[in-house]
Amino acid sequence: MNSLRLAALPAALLISTAAQAAPVKIGLLETLSGPQASTGQTFRAGVRYAVDKINAAGGWNGEPVQLVEYDNQGGPAGASDKLKAAIADGVQLVVQGASSAIAGQITEDVRKHNLRNPGKEIVFINVGAEALELTGEKCNFHHFRITGNAQVRTKALVQGMKQAKALGSKVYAINQNYSWGQDMEKAIVDNAAAGGYQVVEKRLHDVNKIQDFAPYVAKIVASGADTVMTGNWSNDLLLMMKAAKAAGLKADFGTVFLDQPGNISNAGETAIGHFIAHVFNGEAGGAEGAKFVSDYAAKTGRAPVFVEAQAVFALDMVADALKRTKATAGALDVNAFARAMETAKIKTPMGEMSMRAADHQVLLPLVVSTVTKDAKYKVDGTDMGFKPVKVFSAEESAMPVQSSCKMQRPS
Amino acid sequence: MDTLLFGLLNGLIYGLLLFMVSAGLTLIFGMMGVLNFAHASFYMLGAYFAYTLQGLLGFGPAVVAATLLAGGVGALVERFFLRRVHHHGHAHELLLTFGLSFIVAETIKLLFGNFPVDYHVPASLDGPAFTLGSQQYPTYRLLMGAVALAMFGLLYLLLTRTRVGIIVRSAIYKPRMVEALGHNVQLVFMGVFGVGAALAGLAGAIAGAFYTTSPNMALEVGVMVFVVVVVGGLGSLGGAMLASLLIGVITSLAVSVDRSLADALTLVGAGAWAESVGGLLTLKLSSLAATLPFALMLLVLLVRPQGLLGDKT
Repeated sequence: MNSLRLAALPAALLISTAAQAAPVKIGLLETLSGPQASTGQTFRAGVRYAVDKINAAGGWNGEPVQLVEYDNQGGPAGASDKLKAAIADGVQLVVQGASSAIAGQITEDVRKHNLRNPGKEIVFINVGAEALELTGEKCNFHHFRITGNAQVRTKALVQGMKQAKALGSKVYAINQNYSWGQDMEKAIVDNAAAGGYQVVEKRLHDVNKIQDFAPYVAKIVASGADTVMTGNWSNDLLLMMKAAKAAGLKADFGTVFLDQPGNISNAGETAIGHFIAHVFNGEAGGAEGAKFVSDYAAKTGRAPVFVEAQAVFALDMVADALKRTKATAGALDVNAFARAMETAKIKTPMGEMSMRAADHQVLLPLVVSTVTKDAKYKVDGTDMGFKPVKVFSAEESAMPVQSSCKMQRPS
Repeated sequence: MDTLLFGLLNGLIYGLLLFMVSAGLTLIFGMMGVLNFAHASFYMLGAYFAYTLQGLLGFGPAVVAATLLAGGVGALVERFFLRRVHHHGHAHELLLTFGLSFIVAETIKLLFGNFPVDYHVPASLDGPAFTLGSQQYPTYRLLMGAVALAMFGLLYLLLTRTRVGIIVRSAIYKPRMVEALGHNVQLVFMGVFGVGAALAGLAGAIAGAFYTTSPNMALEVGVMVFVVVVVGGLGSLGGAMLASLLIGVITSLAVSVDRSLADALTLVGAGAWAESVGGLLTLKLSSLAATLPFALMLLVLLVRPQGLLGDKT
């Protein structure tokens, strides 16, 4: 399962000049098989593109960075297992994104490993797990979240929908019953005053177990809500939209993961007018955005979708920190790298992105988009796409550090 | 009132869909004693066949063709795989179908990709059948229910009222005797397996358009189908029907019940204590709707291990 990718061959020729130097190994610990494999593979596509870019620019310390891929099989147990394998293989940077449950396991394992093995630390680069606890009670020096979270996403979504005059006065909150969904529900309630709406009903349901959403949609219709806000992803979002369409529900959806491939084509015209708060929209990025999309398409064969751009930006921040970390005896000093990560700052087509040292939550621009037929980039082979409504800069979307985060730095 | 009516109707139709998928499984088990782990894979195959053929034939004929194709694949599986391991016993058959389900899922991923494909209800069927209060009820759901009921009726008549049915049932009961009377028992088994697979394929072709057609659909429905068959009684067609409807209605109605254990404890004056303990005690029933069928299965296994209408002990 572990495939080794040495991307930039020219850079490999430099190995002879730094004979005893150890190359940096990035371990991708992603869900590459099973029901959620599609999400893990999207993260992988973005990470591969970004690592190739690092190597094309010369790698680190004169050597190409190695990307080693591990399949966590969709669960915390598999992730824990594969993390041990990765550590044994000499991986120093662990990258993962799909599922907060898995990230919760990895961040704890990484913390314990670093406590027990001083001098052999590893860093966890979280490119997609958005549960609040990861930068709250579980925050630690060797974890970096380079993606949004429920608070920032909901804040942007509410403000964006309000400005587009698409936010109703009665909001229905429906979410998955685990850390992420519960965070979303809380964030939707917390934003009620700012958004000028009332949460008419909130509901949590089982994660990716429900086939028939008709009973849930019947509840939404009965509540009289005019806007549905949800952090649902994958089937839980798609099936809900299909059920909403079948029941003739007129409410607009405010979502976070509407851009997952297959959603728009499956939902059809019913998706028009739905909103999403996401990290990247090529159209919102102007000329820089178009350049990124065309370069990504040239390297991978298609435009970036879903979380791919987000994964690329995350690895761009890693590249920025690597650039500023000098080799110690030919190898990477992980603590020095982590310190460099704390001040990492990059420019993306969407704006400036920087790491907040206090809780290792990235401050990133978010874009709120709506599904229309006059979007520049069409998705899923349909005539619809995401048209940006408003871009929120990193400062605008930021939320304060959680008081539960007690960051301990190595002396 | 409207809400309750809709809840019941939603539950019944979903139950009927579950029956469509589980009918084949329980039939195959009842007739051949084979617990077919790959059964839900035929459900998925049906959906993908219909999706592929839809552009070529149109929706209706594509569903029929998908049913036949899924049945054909089922018959081939029985003829060339299951028959070879049959004399090794049930464990081997189980492992074989288990492996087959993986192969089907991975093949689908290779051919159609990891994401849901664009298979949806045709425009002519995509509308409300009636409106009650502020809610519309989709025509397609009624159609799904009607197909399931027709299927149940036909199967029942076929097995109890026709010569074919008599031969099939006796081939299960006394295969050697039936063989001695000049009937081809191997062919009967192949036919039963093929029909079972075809029924799952039909369910997939119809439900795939309404829900989603993705490489995970077998996994999603597969577990629930086993719950249906266990609750209803292995091998009992009537039991599968009863269990499907029960599960459909329970999951649908539970969504409306915002009660937790704490509310029940309030009746005996321990509500405040339960609220302070939290955890399981304050978990709302509605958030567990999709888990309830498993609780039902546990209950049935404890109280009546042979299933509601099962006669094997």
